[in-house]
Amino acid sequence: MNRIARGILPALFGVALLLLWEVMVRVKGVPVYILPAPSAIAGALWNDGGDLLVALSVTLEVTLAALILAAVTGAGIALALAQWPLAERTFFPYAVFLQVTPIVTVAPFIIIWVDNVFVVLLILAWMAAVFPIISNTLLGLKSADTNLKDLFRLYGASRMQTVARLLVPSALPYFLGGLRISGGLALIGTVVAEMVAGTSGTRSGLASRLLEASYRLELARALACFVLLSAVGFAIYAALDLFSKRLLRHWHESAKQTDI
Amino acid sequence: MSAAVVLQDVGKTFASGVQALAPLSSTIKAGSFTSIVGPSGCGKSTLLRVIAGLSAPTTGRVERDAPPHSTSFVFQDATLMPWATVAANVALPLRLAGRPDAEITERVTEALARVGLDGFAGSFPHQLSGGMKMRASIARAMVTGPKLLLMDEPFAALDEFTRAKLNDDLLALWQQNRWTVIFVTHSIREAVFLAERVLVMSPRPGRVIADRAISLAGHRDDALRLSHAFTDQCADISRLLAEAIQPPVNP
Repeated sequence: MNRIARGILPALFGVALLLLWEVMVRVKGVPVYILPAPSAIAGALWNDGGDLLVALSVTLEVTLAALILAAVTGAGIALALAQWPLAERTFFPYAVFLQVTPIVTVAPFIIIWVDNVFVVLLILAWMAAVFPIISNTLLGLKSADTNLKDLFRLYGASRMQTVARLLVPSALPYFLGGLRISGGLALIGTVVAEMVAGTSGTRSGLASRLLEASYRLELARALACFVLLSAVGFAIYAALDLFSKRLLRHWHESAKQTDI
Repeated sequence: MSAAVVLQDVGKTFASGVQALAPLSSTIKAGSFTSIVGPSGCGKSTLLRVIAGLSAPTTGRVERDAPPHSTSFVFQDATLMPWATVAANVALPLRLAGRPDAEITERVTEALARVGLDGFAGSFPHQLSGGMKMRASIARAMVTGPKLLLMDEPFAALDEFTRAKLNDDLLALWQQNRWTVIFVTHSIREAVFLAERVLVMSPRPGRVIADRAISLAGHRDDALRLSHAFTDQCADISRLLAEAIQPPVNP
């Protein structure tokens, strides 16, 4: 199958689905506060676009800040845990605790303890995003080739040299795998945090707008928010995927060009 | 000739209780080429790791007449860093030692030329064939100008033709450089073809059951591989190994 066909098939399927939706809504006369037709959603996107884009930028700002924070702290924590096995035994269960606790249940406490809304959202999104980076990077650091480790020992490598020249490159593909998962989780974390924190006013994010619109039964607007959030999630994934492939393209199996 | 490695009652028992090496003693002469053959799992690799200093013996002593970091090790797998170019891989021991860039470039270029990899400095390991990866691994081992070269079944994973070619090239390099080489293999033909001396090990716990000097007149080349003297030596060691695995029953 050639490249064009591979791109066209999913697009055709999407268009067919939207058409079916449009026709069903019109034929059955479904009221707009139950299920708006795709044309109504497109209309909402067009009319409220500017307003929603501002909200989108707020959400995106928190998501990206949380993702960068999670990448830096996650990699740092994994590196520390890998260097000191005792530290791993002591702290790793708490990282798991962080992961398995639904962040919705932590949100009310964070909201009470922290005044700044941006910081509240950042903490919650970070909590949602950091674990895959810690656990993947840790796995990568431990997966360095044992023969290469022996070779580094034989040539008298210092601990810093071993970390920089062997452990970090070995862990890079694992870290990037974790980052791709965390990109989605950071967005989910931000959305959940916005909904729970109930931010309002001009600096509110897209998820609060979605909730607001649905309370007012402005379903076309709510669905427009939904469409934008999905698009952002998709864009984050695509960007991280591209970033990962560019970093690994010279050597890692996952990024090699295949001749199809 | 002075001794490069002296093994005195060297034994190794792992934490699991498995005894890998029965106490064994041997002396390896400086500049010599010694092969070690033995059934699989007999502790050959353990012995090599003990000689390298990567693993401490539980009993006995290992004396090495080699300054620190002048020992090189070649594994069965080429063990190259997949993220680094061939040149960067070969440069690794010099980088770790903090040598100046100009010296590194010069020595890496020379080492690559000597193993026949000039023109591949900028390639990544996955772009090379198995034989070429092993050549890069050998270049990395010799770039430091080692005194002691330890090789753990380096050609076992290669096809017969590549293996013969690499044997020839290794022999030529050894004749130029005269490192002390200890070469572990499970191929008797390879051991006899390469070495001046073959140590035969028993099944686990490994000990040296025979120590044969290989005297082959003339140049070691393809013709030698077919000669009577060569096949006789191989047959002799093959018999020793077979006896070690299944001791002859006394009538």
